[in-house]
Amino acid sequence: MSETPPASTSGAASLREAWFDTVTARPWPVVVLVALATLALAAALPGLHKDTRADAFVPADHPARVLSREFRTIFGLGDPLVVAVVNPGPRGVFNPASLALVHWLSRQLEQVPNIDPERITSLATEKNIRGTAEGMEVTPLLSEPPTTQAAADAIRAAVMGFPLQVGTLVAADGSGALIIAEQLDQDHAQATYDAVMALVSRAPLGPGDQVHVTGEGALAGHMGAYIDADAARLNPVSALVILLLCLAAFRTLRGMLLPGLVVLATTVSTLGLMALSGVPFYLITNALPVALIGIGVADSIHILTEYYRLAARHPQWSGRQLANTALGNMLRPVSLTTATTMAGFLSLALSAPMPPMRWFGWFALLGVGLAWLYTVTLLPALLALLPAQCSSAYPAASAGQQATDRVGRVLTALGGAALRFPAVVVMLAAAVALAGIAGAPRIEVNDSLLRTFQDREPIVIADRVLNERFDGTYFLDLMVSTPATEDLFRPANLRRIEALQRHLADHPLVADTVSIVDYLKQMHRAMHADDPAYYRLPEDPELIAQYFLLYSGMSDPRDFDHLVDYDYRLANVRVTMKSDYYADLRQVIDDLQGYLRAEFDTAEIHAQPTGRAFINYTWMGQLAQAQTSSLLWALALVLAMSILSFRSVGAGLATLAPIAITVLGIYAYMGFGGLWLSASTAMFAAIAIGLGVDFAIHTMERLRQPRDRPATDLRVMVAELYPGTGRALLFNFLTLAAGFGVLALSQVKVLIEFGITVALAIALSFGSSLLLLPALAKYFPTLRGGQPRAPAGVDSPPPRSTAP
Amino acid sequence: MKAPLVLLCCLPAASLAAGEPSLPIGDLVVERINARDEGRQMSRKMTMVLTDGNGKSRVRETLGLRVYLADRKQTAIYFEAPGNLRGTAFLTYDHRAAEQDDDRWLYLPALRKVRRISASDRGDYFLGTDMTYEDIKLETRVSDDYDYRTLRADSVDGHSCLWLEGVPRNEALARELGYQRVESCVDDRIWIARETHFWDLAGNPLKTARTLDIREVQGIWTPHQVLVENHKTGHRTEFRFSDIDYQTPIEPSLLQPNSLHRGP
Repeated sequence: MSETPPASTSGAASLREAWFDTVTARPWPVVVLVALATLALAAALPGLHKDTRADAFVPADHPARVLSREFRTIFGLGDPLVVAVVNPGPRGVFNPASLALVHWLSRQLEQVPNIDPERITSLATEKNIRGTAEGMEVTPLLSEPPTTQAAADAIRAAVMGFPLQVGTLVAADGSGALIIAEQLDQDHAQATYDAVMALVSRAPLGPGDQVHVTGEGALAGHMGAYIDADAARLNPVSALVILLLCLAAFRTLRGMLLPGLVVLATTVSTLGLMALSGVPFYLITNALPVALIGIGVADSIHILTEYYRLAARHPQWSGRQLANTALGNMLRPVSLTTATTMAGFLSLALSAPMPPMRWFGWFALLGVGLAWLYTVTLLPALLALLPAQCSSAYPAASAGQQATDRVGRVLTALGGAALRFPAVVVMLAAAVALAGIAGAPRIEVNDSLLRTFQDREPIVIADRVLNERFDGTYFLDLMVSTPATEDLFRPANLRRIEALQRHLADHPLVADTVSIVDYLKQMHRAMHADDPAYYRLPEDPELIAQYFLLYSGMSDPRDFDHLVDYDYRLANVRVTMKSDYYADLRQVIDDLQGYLRAEFDTAEIHAQPTGRAFINYTWMGQLAQAQTSSLLWALALVLAMSILSFRSVGAGLATLAPIAITVLGIYAYMGFGGLWLSASTAMFAAIAIGLGVDFAIHTMERLRQPRDRPATDLRVMVAELYPGTGRALLFNFLTLAAGFGVLALSQVKVLIEFGITVALAIALSFGSSLLLLPALAKYFPTLRGGQPRAPAGVDSPPPRSTAP
Repeated sequence: MKAPLVLLCCLPAASLAAGEPSLPIGDLVVERINARDEGRQMSRKMTMVLTDGNGKSRVRETLGLRVYLADRKQTAIYFEAPGNLRGTAFLTYDHRAAEQDDDRWLYLPALRKVRRISASDRGDYFLGTDMTYEDIKLETRVSDDYDYRTLRADSVDGHSCLWLEGVPRNEALARELGYQRVESCVDDRIWIARETHFWDLAGNPLKTARTLDIREVQGIWTPHQVLVENHKTGHRTEFRFSDIDYQTPIEPSLLQPNSLHRGP
């Protein structure tokens, strides 16, 4: 660290001094102002609106969302909750007790708020269509629970004779029955899921009966609460760990509490502003407080390090003098790292097509800015109010020797090693880079709502059980449209739908499909005395119209509302899949879209995929592109800022080197570790660059050689760099790594992945900044400067303060 | 027919009605409704406009024939439009004996076959309208499956009427009918309900029916329009009646399953 005389006449420097002088001269108004602002924003917190739906990942005006809303309006289908009654006994669920349970659940679900009583599908709501000697009969499959085993057997026989229901409503082996309940409003999935779980907990189970709840609605509903609870548990832990690290770094109470106050004000203000601006708190926003706590504390650490370093050297200085000088010395690097971190988040905000990520970028950017603001106002004000203090972590220097503790000595040794063996450092970096280049193509884009949960969660078990016994609980819907009313009576159109269903059924990942075609075939067969030869589409459009009229005379015509619209112009083909993993969805949807282009792109008939599966496919498909573009934006912004700041292209590029190693290292980790590029990992690049570049900048800043000073030997620079800045960077690194690393203790797999990936990225950028940059400086001495710039290291109090 | 209200309320039993002693008791109102002349036979054109919650409509034009026999009422409905339903005919025998299930047939011209339709519940909806089979069967009458009481005097569209509440006699009947309760405002001059509200089994408002354009045809008070709105589904049905004729005799043999293919 330099020990220059008071800074000169530079305009920027005097402005800076004036600022700190003002802040530290009137500390109380500053403290009160920040406290009031924070309290005012805290008051807005209850207005924070949560939006944990997966839908939120696609902008509301995206064609996929528009179509999905239209589809829901027309067919009344969305994200259902699926309740399964399973009985592993020899008769399966076809015994009086289990059927009574199915009946009871179906009736009770009608009373659950937000469950659409008109859109509950189960044995207790569905009807059998069968032929009789004189015509056709439509009878409820399970109007009243049977009282005898014989009656239960009769129901089994009826259901198993209706191909449409086997696998979808009942397990093919009879071991289970499903109740599919649609929601009126998908946005209340959380409360609906809780209400259904409460209902299930008091359901009258028969011997051997088990009840499971899953389905897209249940997943979405449970996920919100699950992640919220987890984040609520982890955020305090992360804050505590970081405070303890600050205590370890400074070994003083204020060294722990002052950064704590800064991050508290930062986090509360950011979330308060989010509430005021009406931006919802999305699922991934749960990672924001952790990020803000980790990032917000960094500036304070650097300033406190400088404070204690100065206090050790100038025991006679007042608290205000120490505060002024520490701030004055650190303002440039701290502001620069704030700017680059903001640039990282700006890249996310600008490039992410998904609103949750975009808003994460904007509010992280805002939070980092607020953290800087509070660090340069609240922190000096509080330090000025407190008497001068020394820290045992920064002992007073004996003459001619750099003051340091054990941590500092270890770091110095590390720096020395990097300078002694620069080739090893560079080769290590090259190895990481190569691994990244090899690993990147291996990264697979994949995700699933189900993956959020631990394997032991009931909802995961339910999903497994249901997939073993039924066709599946994930729905891809196809909206078929024709130009004119009753065009769907035309056999040519119906045959096209039939062929589409046949094509889909051949796909190994498709379990089942259902459309109005299946019901027409069933009616046609019933009207021909159940002759299997008539299980086909009628040829005559008038007959089709008359079948629908016939059905409306025998049963509720709304039975088909989820498959065909009132005009017989739009139809729904519902595809059942066993998986909601993106990789599986993509296979099915890509194949389907090829088929639709070939067969359904005519003037007579058209079809588009929609529903939950298609929305998930849409946003997950954007992840790879979003990740790449945010990476490029971040690199470009950070590079531009580094070049401008150091006024050297070489230094700017060198600053980017540790970042490149970091990104490639993460690619290697993801590629070889089998980690998917998903909603949680796609943000890592922007965050890792924004945070990781801090280490590179602080290091570069110290390695650069001011022109107005005689050339210093690199070794001497490093010996100065490591105990001071290096130590600050170490604790900066530790707090960030701990803040994100705490997420590894989460119950939510995606948060664990996110935490570990970011923590690893931070470790990589810390390590490569402190080792690679000195090594590079040794090979390329020009990196160390030569451009004139305002002196950064001012070690005495600013002129206007009352220097001793 | 024109029994003055004053006379009714002077009957001792009339004062049993809840709250307002001046109202005639429910059973008397029911008696007056069901005593109304409906003609021995009738033919009419009926247009049904069915509109779903999204505002999409289906229009069906039919010709209806109805004849009262000693033990049953026979009704046939012949579809004339839309084209793909032309010739389709629906026939019911509503038997007077309560224990006998009503018979229903549908003639499908595309199959050239008459098919018996399984006896649906009385509470099932009739051919996609917002009326149940029971509502259709009763037309302007009321059934004895309910306990009735008179609630209050009121007026609808400028016609004075009495609010008559009907509650199914027991739980099983309520389930069968699909209503927990009905309330009608019965015109106390012509004894036709001008407005009726229905509540579902959970007690939620289910639907509202309004009888409009009631005119005398051949000496019989005859509604020419009925509007039904289902509050749960948003579905609406408009029935429009025209060319009503109570006098031209109808040959009961025409209203036979085997004659349906011949048309009216």
